[in-house]
Amino acid sequence: MATQAPSVNALEIADATVPGRIESVFLRLAPGAIVGLVGPNGSGKSTLLCVAAGLLPATGSVLWRNRPVAALAPLERGRSAAWVPQEARFEFGFTVRSVVAQGRYAHGDDDRGIDEAIAALDLGALASRPVNQISGGERQRVLMARALATAAPLQLWDEPLASLDPRHALEVLLLARRLADAGSTILLSVQDLRVASGLDALALMDSGRLRAFGPPASVLTPEALAEVFGVRVRTAAGLVFELP
Amino acid sequence: MILPARYARFALPGAVLLLAAMAAFSLATGDVRLGPERIWAGLLHRDAMASTVIWQIRLPRMAVGVMVGAALAAAGLIMQAYFRNSLASPDLLGVSTGGAAGAAVAIASGWAAVSLWSLPAAALVGSFAAVGAVIALARRGASTERLLLAGVALNALLGAVTAYILSRYTDLYQRNAQILFWLMGGLEDRMGMHVMIGLPIPLAALALWPLGRPMDLLSLGEQEAQSLGIDVRRLRRRLIAIAAVLTATATAIAGTVGFVGLVVPHILRLLVGPEHRRLVPLALVGGPVFVLGCDLAGRLAGGLRLGIVTALIGGPFFLWLLRRHQ
Repeated sequence: MATQAPSVNALEIADATVPGRIESVFLRLAPGAIVGLVGPNGSGKSTLLCVAAGLLPATGSVLWRNRPVAALAPLERGRSAAWVPQEARFEFGFTVRSVVAQGRYAHGDDDRGIDEAIAALDLGALASRPVNQISGGERQRVLMARALATAAPLQLWDEPLASLDPRHALEVLLLARRLADAGSTILLSVQDLRVASGLDALALMDSGRLRAFGPPASVLTPEALAEVFGVRVRTAAGLVFELP
Repeated sequence: MILPARYARFALPGAVLLLAAMAAFSLATGDVRLGPERIWAGLLHRDAMASTVIWQIRLPRMAVGVMVGAALAAAGLIMQAYFRNSLASPDLLGVSTGGAAGAAVAIASGWAAVSLWSLPAAALVGSFAAVGAVIALARRGASTERLLLAGVALNALLGAVTAYILSRYTDLYQRNAQILFWLMGGLEDRMGMHVMIGLPIPLAALALWPLGRPMDLLSLGEQEAQSLGIDVRRLRRRLIAIAAVLTATATAIAGTVGFVGLVVPHILRLLVGPEHRRLVPLALVGGPVFVLGCDLAGRLAGGLRLGIVTALIGGPFFLWLLRRHQ
């Protein structure tokens, strides 16, 4: 579990500050867990993910498997962690397949795991379509497939479920579970707190600070929900989605 | 994509054949018409007259045309990937104008007469200054509007530098004529010397050759590329240096030739898709095909300068692109 402190951390962020966006964040994730990043809009979730991915300069330190990211060669970074942006702008009409194959750049091969990644995200029918001619949700799945193709043990996904239909959202969560069972660590930001409550652990961001970290039940307390999100929580019967 | 994937691999051999045909045509056409046998005899110095025409006039002209075409097409391709915008190109962004302004300063001040290399060096400085300004004004991943506005502003500014020089030194007619040459762009009276000055072009092309795949990743976003294992800062520095050297050298040997960097990459992308591993070699071959074709068209039309022909073709093409872009 992410709350224990094993000898090797998949990701360790210490005292990370990006002026005006996040402030003195400490976060430590164990291997093999799905950790949700929750918080209101503008609370610093995307920034924290960028910092975790080593894409945004921040004070403090970021370690992957106990090694400072800054000391890793670019190619090794590409093999160690995958980052999925919230949205992507595609100016050029690369085919879905060739975008997914870009995930293999750091490995120096073009074919390994591409078909599997395309199948895992249900993109088989779109494989030869240009990415600038598919829908937002489909594009999101292409980026996920590319992240999958990297086979990186640390997966950082920024709102991967935001534009997905219920079925593909469930499939992505199942995929995350499979990856975690195989030893990968997934840190993903989520808006839907009902989805978040089913993850292994949660990190709650509030105005650039990490307010709480731990199992969902200990993070999503009625007090925290009221204070951070300004909502009241109540259990009631509703729709439940499952894969057939 | 117009060509089905299975035919795309024939695009490069096809372009090479087309280039060979254009080159032969270019060597055959002129005041003295030469057939294949006489071209061959001239190349081997077996026919004194043909030999002079070929080696002194047509071969340098063709070689400079090939280098300029390859340089401008490749520079356009680089800038489009760098700015993630398919409307970026050396002339629209003011990089060619910067090179021309640098060349104009060198000619007017008399530096150009000091050494063979001072003119290309001045063009290089002008191009680099323009590149630096575009980067500062538009930032990477810039929207089409910002990028084109930055280009408009720079073209106006650098054009004013050239215009000032032209008006300031009206007494030196010969120098002004020389400056006007750069501004209109052309392949007339090219000599072995110009081929020599153009040598940085094949070197820069060689440096560009292996960067196709990294360019693919960069063209989809800076952070994405970095997360996938690209050293983005290093790649961008290399790309912009290569693009500036290509544009500046092309400008130094043939003046400002517009629209090649816009038209050629676009046509190639329509033919074989957006992957730069394919586009880099194709641009290096397709650029020369376009330039030699325009040069031939200009010669057959009674001596239109190259810059005029490329603009006559490129202008309407650009308008069509803008319409299609919406």
